[in-house]
Parts: sequence; C-alpha cells; structure tokens
Amino acid sequence: MRRSHLLATAACATLACAPLVANAQFAPAGSGGSPTSTVPGPGNGNSFEPTENAPSATSRFSGPSPYAPQAPGVNAANLPDIGSMDPNEVPQMAPQQSASPASGDWAAYGHDDSQMRYSPLSEITPQNADQLKVAFVYHTGSYPRPGQVNKWAAETTPIKVGDGLYMCSAQNDIMKLDPATGKEIWRHNINEKYESIPYTAACKGVTYFTSSQVPEGQPCHNRILEGTLDMRLIAVDAATGNLCEGFGNGGQVNLMQGLGESVPGFVSMTTPPPIVNGVAVVNHEVLDGQRRWAPSGVIRGYDAESGKFLWAWDVNRPDDHSQPTGNNHYSRGTPNSWAAMTGDNALGLVYVPTGNSASDYYSALRSEAENKVSSAVVALDVKTGAPRWVFQTVHKDVWDYDIGSQATLMDMPGPDGQPVPALIMPTKRGQTFVLDRRDGKPILPVEERPAPSPGVIPGDPRSPTQPWSTGFPALRVPDLKETDMWGMSPLDQLFCRIKFRRANYTGEFTPPSVDKPWIEYPGYNGGSDWGSMSYDPQSGILIANWNITPMYDQLVTRKKADQLGLMPIDDPNYKPGGGGAEGNGAMDGTPYGIVVTPFWDQYTGMMCNRPPYGMITAIDMKHGQKVLWQHPLGTARANGPWGLPTGLPWEIGTPNNGGSVVTAGGLVFIGAATDNQIRAIDEHTGKVVWSAVLPGGGQANPMTYEANGHQYVAIMAGGHHFMMTPVSDQLVVYALPDHKG
Amino acid sequence: MPNTYGNRTLTEWLTLVLGVVIILVGLFFVIGGADLAMLGGSVYYVLCGILLVASGVFMVMGRTLGAFLYLGALGYTWIWSLWEVGLSPVDLLPRDFGPTLLGILVALTIPVLRRMETRRTLRGAV
Repeated sequence: MRRSHLLATAACATLACAPLVANAQFAPAGSGGSPTSTVPGPGNGNSFEPTENAPSATSRFSGPSPYAPQAPGVNAANLPDIGSMDPNEVPQMAPQQSASPASGDWAAYGHDDSQMRYSPLSEITPQNADQLKVAFVYHTGSYPRPGQVNKWAAETTPIKVGDGLYMCSAQNDIMKLDPATGKEIWRHNINEKYESIPYTAACKGVTYFTSSQVPEGQPCHNRILEGTLDMRLIAVDAATGNLCEGFGNGGQVNLMQGLGESVPGFVSMTTPPPIVNGVAVVNHEVLDGQRRWAPSGVIRGYDAESGKFLWAWDVNRPDDHSQPTGNNHYSRGTPNSWAAMTGDNALGLVYVPTGNSASDYYSALRSEAENKVSSAVVALDVKTGAPRWVFQTVHKDVWDYDIGSQATLMDMPGPDGQPVPALIMPTKRGQTFVLDRRDGKPILPVEERPAPSPGVIPGDPRSPTQPWSTGFPALRVPDLKETDMWGMSPLDQLFCRIKFRRANYTGEFTPPSVDKPWIEYPGYNGGSDWGSMSYDPQSGILIANWNITPMYDQLVTRKKADQLGLMPIDDPNYKPGGGGAEGNGAMDGTPYGIVVTPFWDQYTGMMCNRPPYGMITAIDMKHGQKVLWQHPLGTARANGPWGLPTGLPWEIGTPNNGGSVVTAGGLVFIGAATDNQIRAIDEHTGKVVWSAVLPGGGQANPMTYEANGHQYVAIMAGGHHFMMTPVSDQLVVYALPDHKG
Repeated sequence: MPNTYGNRTLTEWLTLVLGVVIILVGLFFVIGGADLAMLGGSVYYVLCGILLVASGVFMVMGRTLGAFLYLGALGYTWIWSLWEVGLSPVDLLPRDFGPTLLGILVALTIPVLRRMETRRTLRGAV
C-alpha cells in the first residue's frame, strides 16, 4: 500500500484533491507499542480507586488526587459557604404558575411542569401562518467580542408569566421584557467572565417561583431562579430584577462548594433548575473528555425559599446525602447531568437524565455504582436525594450517548384503561423510552439485544447487551453501508468509501479501537439531543426532530495524545478551542486520549453519508405509536461544500439542534436546522406552511405566548458554534400582522 | 509526429486539456479504487479508472478512440450506479452527475478528434 499511497499523493497534488493517505484520523498508533502495559487489569474494572500506575506518567500536568482534600474551585462571586437545612423543614410549596399556567403563558422551559412544549393557543393556524411577520426583536448583548473564540450557542427559551417575558442571555444576564413590545423592563447583569464559558455559552432558561414565605406584594414573592455558567444559583425578584436578599448569600449560592479543585469553564450550569415541592434541584455539565478525575457530577437540592443546602446525590457516596465539609469534596469523575431535568410534584420526584462518568470513551476505571446510573433516567426523591428508580438507556456507555433531552411527562393508556403516569425519554440513540414514572418500568416494550462485545480495549469489555425500545419507532436510519457514501462527485464519494472501509464498523455500539478509527452511528448529536420532544395531549401527536450524523472516532495512546497536544482544561498549557468537549479530548488519567470528528470529507466539509442529515417525525401516541408523517428537516440554502451556502430550497435535511413547540392551533414551530430558518408545520400533515429566515442560527427551542389578546411566537436566533451557524444576540418574535408591537 | 502539436486550434487545446483532466481523474480512480478494492470495497472505481486513463491518453494523442472509451466508461458508470442504488436521484447524483457533464464535453470533442485524426492521416499519406 505504501507505493500506492505515494502515487496517490502525487496524483492528488496535481488534482488538488484530498490526499487519500489522510483517510485515517492519523497514522495507525500500532507503532507506539501496545497499550496493554498501561491498562489496568480486568480486576480493576469495578474499582474507582485510581491505580498506582494510573497511566498519566507522560502527561505534563497531573490533576488532583481524587481522594486527597482539595482547595475549592473558583468561587465566582466570592460567596461564603451556604449552610445546610433538614429537608423535612422545607416549607409547603405555594401553588406554582408552572403547575397550571394561564392559557396565554409559557411558565416553564417546556411550557409547564409536564414539559410537553404544548400551548393551548390557537390564533395562529395552518390557514393564516403564512402571514406571520416579525413583531419585535430583542438584543441580549451577548456575542463573541473581537479576540474571543466563538463558543456561543445561547439555546435560550424565554418563559412568559403574566406581564413579563423572562429570559437570560448566553452569559446569564437576566431580563424581563414587555411581551407585547419587547421593551426591556429590567435587566440584571451578573458580570460573568468570558473564562467561565465551558464548551458553550448557553443559558437554556430561567425558572419562575412563587414563594410561600414572602407575602404577595413584597419583593421576591415571585422570583426568577437561574443557574449560571460560573456555578451560581441566583434568585432575583420577578418585579424588579433585584437580588433576593433572603436567598442564599444576598441572593446567590456558590455551587462550587464541595466540588473540589476546578477551573472556570470545567463545570457549569446551562439549564433552568426545576423546583419540586419547594426543592430547587441543580445539575451541572462537566466538560467532556478532560480527565478521569474531573469534578463530581453530583446532583443537589436547595431550598427554593432560603437557598439553603438540602441534599446531595453523589453516586459514589450513596448513603451520604450531606455536603462535604472543609476541603473534602464530592466523588470525582462521576456521571454528570447537563440536560434539563423534569420535576414531578405529585410523586415528589425529579427525573434526572444522566450522562457519562468523566472520560466518555474509556470505562475501565468506573465504579459499579457509576455503571448503574450512567446514560440513564434517574428518579430522585426530592425529600432525600436518594434514587427511587433508575432506567438505563446505554450500558457502560463509551460513545458519549449521554442523554441531552428533557423527559416529557404525559399519560399513557394503561392495561385496564386507566391512565398511567408516564414519561417519554428521548435519547441520542434515537431509541425513545416510555416509562411508568412511579417505578421506571417500561410501558412500551424494551428488549435487551446482543451488542458487539467484549471489544478490543484490554480490561474494558463492552456490555454483551443493550436496551432497545421495540414498541416505539426508531429515530434512526439502518446501519451504514459503503453504498451510503455520498459526495458532489465520484471523487469525494470514493474518498468517503475508503474512509468507511478503513474504519471499524459493526453497526450501533461498534466498540472503541486504537489501531484504527471506528464509526459511531448514531452520533453524539443524536438521534434526539437537547431539543427534546413536544407532545400535543389533545391530538396525541408527539413531535420529534432528530439527526443522522455519524461520527469518526479513534482512541489514541497517551503518547500520541501528548503529541496531538490534547490537554485537560486545568492544565496550564491548555489552549481554549484546542480540544474541548464534543471533540478531541485528553481523557487524562486513563491510558487513552480521544479523537472525534464528524464522519465527513474534511476537505469539502460535507458529511460522508448520504442525506438527509436531519428529520422530523410525528408519532401518534394514542394509536400504537404509528408514524403519521416524517420528512427531512432543513434546506440546503445555507449549507454546501466548503461551508458555502448553495441557496437551494431543496429540503435536504440538515443536522439540527433545538426542539419544537406544538399548539392547539394545529401547528408545530421549529427552528433547529442549520438553514437558519424558523418554520411552521401543519401538525397533522407535516406540510411546511410558513418559514422565515432568522438573523442567526435557530438552535433553540421556540415558545409561544399571548399578550394583549394576541399570539406571539418567539425564538432565540443565537446560532451555534459547533453547528457552524451564524451567532446573533437576537430574540426574534413573530405575530400576525395586525398585532405588531 | 513532429507536427502534431503545431498549429493547434483552440478547440484542440481544450480537447488536450480535457484529456489531461480525464487522465488525472482516472489515476485517482485507479489508485483510490485499488485501495478500496483491497479494503473489501467496490471494484467499480479501479476498473473504471483503467478505462478513464486509457481514454485520456488516447484523447491526448488526438485519437477518437479516447472519446469513445470515455463514453464507454460513462455507460459502465450508469449501469453500475443503477445496479448499486436503483433509481434514487439523491444517490445517482454523486455517481453520475459529474461524469455525465464531463461526457457531454467529451462528446463535443469527437469532431475535433476526427479532424485531428484526418489531418494526421493526410500527413501520413503525403
């Protein structure tokens, strides 16, 4: 092959085409010697103790020991520690707006406590949607300044309660807008530093809470809670935007407390904390791919009235729900949860969609306890912080199939005709699990099917089976074949066919490999990602948008990782943008680093697989989960080879991020696709009845509300750095023409 | 062939350039296609590449056979792609769109190549 490679290079140089030799991520790592010597033996697989020869000898910087006491991480606002409180003393929660919002309101991230993303508004219909016009635009003021790496993807969904539209900027400033005009009523700047931005500057939303302790009419009776990128839990008065003095320390709680060593951007909050029976539940993202002993993925409960600490769920300290004292800290490297959680006041549970233990692509150093709860839905009792049930969607996940979606609560018909309280859990795998939320048992059948096992990484066997939701349409296409490779011409198609054949691929759950790349389909962008699903409880129609974006992954030896300059974020030599989450990672503390790229032709920037790359599907939940309609989502207008917009209206189906809204008017509103459009789709037929070009990428969940008797549709056109859509700081709000603000 | 490259018209130059392009595409097909075939993939590319290289060489030599070889390769390409993906336009696009465009250009060179051949024959006869 060497000779032909040389020829290929020569031929390619003349052709100015992609050198075929660059098909692999890089040269095979085999020459670097077998990694066996540095891999912990199988006996260590169940232990989360770092081994003596924890193979990071060659890396430049060793992270803190997971057991030694550690100085706490950066405390962004220099807040004193927060005290604890007995969860039994949490005052009875006042009735909340999010429990039963006024018909024109959108009181929580997913509209209401059920997170159905369904609005009973019906002024805008398939018949008149084509008249929608911009009513107003609001600028949040958060976008990359000169010299700053673009890490922006605001992903914000405002909430609307009464006379206010409440939202946050990508860097967590909180605003109240007039819902009819977009005029800023107040703005609370929190002065977040650029350094605090992790993988993405995102603030998915804020939480509206009504106090039972502060009387009506007094400041902070109604308050807005927000978790921030720099790990603060902030409460401000909904009427004025002033900090709630009675909450935490002057309105803020330092969420770095107990997390041990960290640097800004390593851990961050991007989702609105749900408040369940008076308990504000807080999760946080831990930057993927950095090191095995990254800060803990602990889930915590705080009193929504006082901000006092109530409980922690620390996977590796299952019986200890207290907060660590002194320089002690929560168990490091445990699975984090970055998706929006869903509260359930009736059952006293919070449904936590979990991710993976730190170092996504290597599992030999994970504890049994971690293995039981990663990439799962965990129902935590908000009184204690103890799990009541766990449903796992991937066993021993080494594919970054952490759950990005928020669970949606709904009722399913039970065997005796009585409704069963259910939750719908979409996953990146495109397997959607429908569970009884009382006990986590599947309502639609789930089968454990054989999966490729044990794989090739010494001491890190894969699970022999994986769960499949067989009673629900799979949101994926069949396993890839060589003939699925695409391109503009036979030349780039040939390139992709070679790339396909050079990689390991045995379908879903192809185990990680070091000697050559492996193809991961579904990819880590889904299936379903954080956009979640919307559900119309009247029609029983569930709307799901999803991706067909395979990834090209390869483990690299530590030596190779060092050569590639893969360093964890807390390494003094770490370069921002030089390998963070959702890409190459050092995975320090494990024998390997990880190289991840989309499965694409890196010279044209086009995906290797044939289109579509993104789909939208309507599923009838009342009649056997039948697919009512399904079509590609997103046109080629802003996409093309070398990132050039083609301007073509061809509905090719683009990758998408961000979810949908469904309304009683019979419409689905969705941005999400990388064509930077928002569209209205007839819920029953799938026909696109209106679309408009946004000033930036529409990678955010839209929402709809009523003000002055008229319906508005809002979407944050914040763009998304990874989706390569233009960033803007504009919230764009549409209405029918007579009702311009 | 002392005079083959003398007094060329513009169309003859363009034909020559087209021939060179086809040789390069053919080489890419042969080399990449051999790689792919050895990896267990489709053998179409290496076979088609051989036809394309031959086609390009004959075109550069001013032989009409070059154009017909290309059209033959194009026919092979269409038959193969219909066999591989059927009548799916999205899948036929990468396989046939570019080659067919190139085929139209090649067809346009047939009169040019004929003229070149005739001239050469005449010269040879003198």
